[in-house]
Amino acid sequence: MPSYATLAPFIVKRPWLHNLLKPVASWYANAAGYRQLGLRFDDLILEEDEDVLKAIQRLSPKESYDRVYRIRRAYQCSVSHKLLPKDQWTKPEEDVPYLSPILEQIKAEHKEKEALDSLTVIKSH
Amino acid sequence: MRRSLVESTKKKGLIESVIRRLLAVTENLPEMSSFLLRAFNHTKVKLPSQTFTRQLSTTIPLLNMFSRKALSRGAQIAARRQACLAQRRGYAAATATVTATSAPTSAPSSLTYETADVSGIKVATRDSHGPTTKLAVVAKAGTRYQPAPGLTVGLEEFAFKNTQKRSALRIVRESELLGGQLVAYHTREALVLEAKFLREDIPYFAELLAEVISETKYTTYEFHEEVERVMHLKQAKLANDVSALALDAAHSVAFHTGLGSSLYPTSSTPIKSYLSEHAIVDYAEAVYAKSNIALVGDGATTAALHRWTEQFFKKVPASPSGPLALNTKPTTYYGGEQRTAHPGGNSIVIAFPGSSFGTFKPEISVLAALLGGQSNVKWSSGFTLLSQAAATAPGVIASASNLAYSDSGLLTIQISGAAASVRKAADAAVKALKGIAEGKVSSESLTKAIAKAKFDALEASQSGVSTLLSAGSGIVHTGKPFQIAETVKSLSSVTADKLKTAAKTLIDGKATVSVVGDLHVLPYAEELGLKV
Repeated sequence: MPSYATLAPFIVKRPWLHNLLKPVASWYANAAGYRQLGLRFDDLILEEDEDVLKAIQRLSPKESYDRVYRIRRAYQCSVSHKLLPKDQWTKPEEDVPYLSPILEQIKAEHKEKEALDSLTVIKSH
Repeated sequence: MRRSLVESTKKKGLIESVIRRLLAVTENLPEMSSFLLRAFNHTKVKLPSQTFTRQLSTTIPLLNMFSRKALSRGAQIAARRQACLAQRRGYAAATATVTATSAPTSAPSSLTYETADVSGIKVATRDSHGPTTKLAVVAKAGTRYQPAPGLTVGLEEFAFKNTQKRSALRIVRESELLGGQLVAYHTREALVLEAKFLREDIPYFAELLAEVISETKYTTYEFHEEVERVMHLKQAKLANDVSALALDAAHSVAFHTGLGSSLYPTSSTPIKSYLSEHAIVDYAEAVYAKSNIALVGDGATTAALHRWTEQFFKKVPASPSGPLALNTKPTTYYGGEQRTAHPGGNSIVIAFPGSSFGTFKPEISVLAALLGGQSNVKWSSGFTLLSQAAATAPGVIASASNLAYSDSGLLTIQISGAAASVRKAADAAVKALKGIAEGKVSSESLTKAIAKAKFDALEASQSGVSTLLSAGSGIVHTGKPFQIAETVKSLSSVTADKLKTAAKTLIDGKATVSVVGDLHVLPYAEELGLKV
């Protein structure tokens, strides 16, 4: 479950709606501008959060290194008011979630813990 | 009056038929409900059904209790009476032989494990008819078998972590709800996953143990967040434990590799290149195979354990797979000396080749009992030679024991305390041992030592950790449990002469001396008069 309100699961479940909105979504993702800075969507997740910090810690060394590299490069672009050359833009197929699955896993852990903490034992005799 | 009697018998008949129905239903209930539980856990269910499964899990034991206690009381009482009779007879036989000749004491039958092969897994059970059960998976995976340092410890720490079916947290919470306790520990030869629980919960814990050995996920983040963290804490604790360090050093000097590899890697051991979650997965594949484990149940009926083993241990592979092979080099005794400077205390271990489980030497056991150390009575140093030696050097703790392994053993004398006192006590201990080799033992002390050795062996096999462990590691090593109690017979045959020759061969052979602490004061083996 993502950390923000979203209709995406609802839409993905319905193929006709998904096919209808997919071009719009792709247009929006490109228009958002983060791909032109060489970022992935998961790089935009707010870092100032305990769960996100934990998720970042659980990244593999390579993923973690690449993430830092992308963010530094984007920051440099932002400072110099330039976009990356077009061949370095993030391609749509590269823009895969790498952090949010881990984040979901952590949230599920919390949820399970809460459920177990507030458990009521019902005796059946 | 008469009419009411008739009515009551009618009612009784009715109740009986109802009870019979209920029994028929409840007999299959644990199986059914645990199947349901599994099904619910497996599919992602939302909260209401989760509460249902929870409710279910808490009702299983209650239902079982109900069915056992109230419904089949007659049958139960009968069964218990029979069992009691058998037990009493066993004890009576044992005491009779003791009082008659003080010769061969046979172990009571309730102390021996029955072994059987259940769908490829060796299962040992012993039923003492108590209200609780201990169930353990004993794997041939102790530190002597690990192909690289730290793997056994890593595998031990991964016990009861996330599995394919449920999270580590859920495992803990569910066992807490049933009042169970889960432990994982290792020795030099065995890795043990143990569960202690109320007798009626056996299906749940049998399933849990099977799940842990065949379906643990070994995730990277758990390795970094839990396993490594706990390992560092334990290493920090071990770094200050002088006597453990000395004993570990004695093993490494005496046996080099295999049994000599460290029981717990110290913080200075370079394990980083060997220990990772991937290496642990490989080791788990090599270790958790049907041919390499034994399931030991203490306080469980044979029928029940066999039934649940058959049902739940299906997924355990029949033979080891994966790229790693266990280090199964036979043990050789080398001997030697090792001195380690340590600011945290002083400890000395003097060791000799001892008796193993495979070839039991009764003289060594008696020798260990005669050297002793801890007094068994209050306000007296006791008859044992080490406690008398320790009495002359205040503040010293001295003890002798025979550490038995499957193919080798180590007779150790361990002394710790203030440096000067340790030196004095070590001198006295070696003198005492030489005294035994010269035959200076009174027949009275010998009798006492034999009696003590017998008591120690029988007590150890009656209760405590060592029963599960020795039964289990006996099975994985030789195919039958090490019945400590069986050895009691041969202890009576030890004579003063045999003890003398045994001690003499030890003194004449190569000793193992490991010293940890203030090396300025602590003695060399040569100063003690030992050959290394």
